[in-house]
Amino acid sequence: MNTYSITVSNLTKKFSFSARNASSGWLKNLFSPETKEIVAVNDISFSIKHGERIAFIGPNGAGKSTTIKMLTGILFPTSGKVNILGFDPTKDRKKLAYQIGTVFGQRSQLLPNLPLTDSLEFFGVMYDMPEKEIKRRIAELVELFNLGSFITQPVRKLSLGQRMRAEVAASLIHKPKIIFLDEPTIGLDVVAKKSLRDLLLKINKDENTTIFLTSHDVGDIESLCDRTIVINHGTIIKDLPTQDLAKTFVYEKYINLVALNNFNNFPELPEGIRYSSKDKNKITVVVDINKINLQESLKKLLDLFEVEDIDVYNADLETVIRHIYERD
Amino acid sequence: MKEIRLTTKILKTLVKDRIQYPDRLFVDTIGIIARCGILLILYWYVFKLNNGVINGTTFLFAAWSIFFYFSFSVLRLRDISREIMKDVQTGNVEVLFSKPISYLSYRMWWQVGSGIYSFVVITLLTVVALIFIIGLPPTMTIGIFIPTLILTFLCGAILSLFLYTIVGLLSFWIEDINPVFWIVDKTIMILGGSYLPIAFFPEFMFKIALWSPFGASQFVTHTVYETWQTNWYQLLGIQLFWIVLLGLVVYFMFEKAKQKVSVNGG
Repeated sequence: MNTYSITVSNLTKKFSFSARNASSGWLKNLFSPETKEIVAVNDISFSIKHGERIAFIGPNGAGKSTTIKMLTGILFPTSGKVNILGFDPTKDRKKLAYQIGTVFGQRSQLLPNLPLTDSLEFFGVMYDMPEKEIKRRIAELVELFNLGSFITQPVRKLSLGQRMRAEVAASLIHKPKIIFLDEPTIGLDVVAKKSLRDLLLKINKDENTTIFLTSHDVGDIESLCDRTIVINHGTIIKDLPTQDLAKTFVYEKYINLVALNNFNNFPELPEGIRYSSKDKNKITVVVDINKINLQESLKKLLDLFEVEDIDVYNADLETVIRHIYERD
Repeated sequence: MKEIRLTTKILKTLVKDRIQYPDRLFVDTIGIIARCGILLILYWYVFKLNNGVINGTTFLFAAWSIFFYFSFSVLRLRDISREIMKDVQTGNVEVLFSKPISYLSYRMWWQVGSGIYSFVVITLLTVVALIFIIGLPPTMTIGIFIPTLILTFLCGAILSLFLYTIVGLLSFWIEDINPVFWIVDKTIMILGGSYLPIAFFPEFMFKIALWSPFGASQFVTHTVYETWQTNWYQLLGIQLFWIVLLGLVVYFMFEKAKQKVSVNGG
């Protein structure tokens, strides 16, 4: 049996569009416009096993959404091969749709004027499930996602957190083998985010659903995904276990220095140490331990500043990701 | 089987949606009373000024012909153009493309479902009101009237959906389809007999109404006239011809459009 849910080989997507040339006349621009081309995804390859939880991250315009849309059969690749559960999304879009679920955080698939039950039943029919099975699955999802308190309310009256839970539940009505989530926690408060992440983890554990997620939220990546693929300028620049991602910049240590009184001046720092932030009450410096070891850097910093407290820590995941984006 | 089940579900869901919001039915009813009612009163007056007959037609025939146009328009099939444009502009098309459905047939049935409740209620009420107020022309009581009316109505609905779908699909290539929509919509309104009953058309315009897909989509307005009894099979043939031709255009346009999808963020 194939152990991979998703196999992508040399996938490329180019968008071409007409660009107006200011030096040409309107007639030329109308009938023979210049064509420009953008390479949104450039020759990427990766494989994902059944039940894996993948964060597919990158800065805005990196090619994340384009990739997700090619994997789900919405966009046609310019070149390369995609295999999702044995299907080619461009040729077998409908067959594949029965096996996958999609959540696009910024768009709703629910029927806004009707109670949530109607949307769930509607999608059950859309996925050609028998009536009994639809009812059983709705009951299951209502309990799992705690939808009971608002299932009879029209969808447009739900809070954003409730709606997102409902969106994910609707995407899971047909027990998909893979769920693609495009920024599912966008705009949610911390409680709603945690609740959604917990639910996705439970679905992954109970039903072995493969999770493929794009997000700008580090919390989603840290708490939900066991593997992270970083894409920038359409190219994969990192593909590693999420816990190893934090170690990427392990040679950098952060030191917080809390002022005994106030810091009045900010002297030049020894080589290997640089300011990350400067404030009268607190300074944060970054130490490159390839250039200066921690003990020596602490000694030098204490010679320079009068401090009340010191805190040494590794870069958090958000900083690591920012570094990766900036360095690329 | 799956398609029939989904279609039934779409229709049921949308009828439920409309029943839940009766204010929409009220607005639709007021709309048709205002548009169709005022036009009928004006034509009644014009016929009266001309001793009851214009171009060999009486008010009774013209009134029913105009009513059929407005009744058909309550289905709001034209709105499919804007729905497709909205899907493309907002990127909602990606949500529907990720489902195990045919996007176009889903959109078409959705459009039918959106208007069917208002259509049934308003048509039934208005037919009863018109029978009481102006009566029935003899052409509407003969045997072939109801079956051919249903046939031409169904063909007209399919043709309208195809015409407006073609306009909607243009939004995959051009940003704003509104100017094209306006031209097509007004052509259908004029050739369909919404402003002027088709019985009043000069010969060249009648020919355009007869042979163009715009006029053919509104052949339901021809059914009340005596000529229908002898011409109905020819007119249905014209409708079928356009259905096949425009169906192919829709199919090939959509095949191309799918490859043009370029939604926000991808």
